[in-house]
Amino acid sequence: MEIKEFIANFADQFDDTDANEFKAETVFKELDEWSSLIALSVIAMVDEEYNVTLKGDDIRNSNTIEDLFNAVKAKA
Amino acid sequence: MAFLKIENVSIKGISACVPSTVEENRDLPFYATPEEAEQVIAATGIERRHVCPDGTTTSDLCLKAAEELINKLGWEKESIDMLAYCTQDPDYLNHPTSFVIHDRLGFPNSCMCIDFYHGCPGWVNSLSSISSMISASGLKRAVLMVGDMCSHDAGKANREERPLFGDSGTATALEYDANAKPILFNIITKSADGMALARKNGGWRAPFTLETLKADIDRREGLVPASETTDKMDGMDVFSFAITTVPKTLKQLCANFEIDLESIDKLILHQANAMMLKTIAKRLKIDMDRVPLSLKEYGNTTGASVPLTIVSECADEYQKAPQKTLVCGFGTGLACACAYFETDNMICPTILEY
Repeated sequence: MEIKEFIANFADQFDDTDANEFKAETVFKELDEWSSLIALSVIAMVDEEYNVTLKGDDIRNSNTIEDLFNAVKAKA
Repeated sequence: MAFLKIENVSIKGISACVPSTVEENRDLPFYATPEEAEQVIAATGIERRHVCPDGTTTSDLCLKAAEELINKLGWEKESIDMLAYCTQDPDYLNHPTSFVIHDRLGFPNSCMCIDFYHGCPGWVNSLSSISSMISASGLKRAVLMVGDMCSHDAGKANREERPLFGDSGTATALEYDANAKPILFNIITKSADGMALARKNGGWRAPFTLETLKADIDRREGLVPASETTDKMDGMDVFSFAITTVPKTLKQLCANFEIDLESIDKLILHQANAMMLKTIAKRLKIDMDRVPLSLKEYGNTTGASVPLTIVSECADEYQKAPQKTLVCGFGTGLACACAYFETDNMICPTILEY
């Protein structure tokens, strides 16, 4: 599991945010476009791409994209 | 494993009734811009919902649905042996609402009453019980009513819940029939995650105090935001549960009873939100033209959403031709209740308004 690929998959869930905004250290909840609906897309993407079932707390307890990546990695 | 095969029971008809009062999601007070409302509508698939005005309960809706269904079937009230009611929103804390309905319908004393307390999987779950009883007991006819009015508990200021929930009441007629194809079920329970959909205060584990009762009423009226101490809906947990467990439980049902997914005419899913249902259908490799959606007009009507969708989206098809139907109610529990049944030109009147 590569963080680079995870960031790209994560970025795919957004429509309006510039691709350069997505980095390992990006605090994703501070992105203007972040919403509870994008959270659902991220959960679906993680289930599809990594066969990992994220829970609400995994998203709530992650600040950066890297935190979320680590949560997925721990469950993979 | 809770695989059930119920012989000799036929679903003879389904009817549904919604309140005539409509709440438009585009008009909700908490969206800052029209674009924000459109975004939520695009993702949930819900444009408007029918909601009970104060003074109307879901038993009023079920009663109207049941009367229409019994009339269309030509069933004498004296021929009905059992009346069942499944809701999370009873008329009174006691006595059970099936008795209220039994009285108002003028059913005979010879008809037994039974109530179920289930949320989103309510119709499928109650159907498994009622059909089992008919199959095993000698009962001939039963009417199962399922309805909820969750819009009233969603909280007027609750951005996560208010755009979702609509109210409705449904009635399903079941009859002993030696020629019926079996009704097949697979019901699973994931109670460890149950608190993802919970309403704690007011029961005996957390009886209302003056403070919590006031907070609950204020939350309903939209005067205070929803908080952990009153209602809880962890949308992300429920979404994860649905997109993983629903396809898996349906596949188990099909594998166990050798049902060919290709042969299914309709897959009727609990109407939670459009994005969730599309993800589930994609995982089952079933085109959306076989997965009718009623949530655009009616929202998430919890336990009643499966029979409501059959009536609102496919009444003609069910009346005119035999149908092979796969259904799944999922959520509250958490639980996932799947069933397969075949109907033959069943009675399915146009959706009613109260």
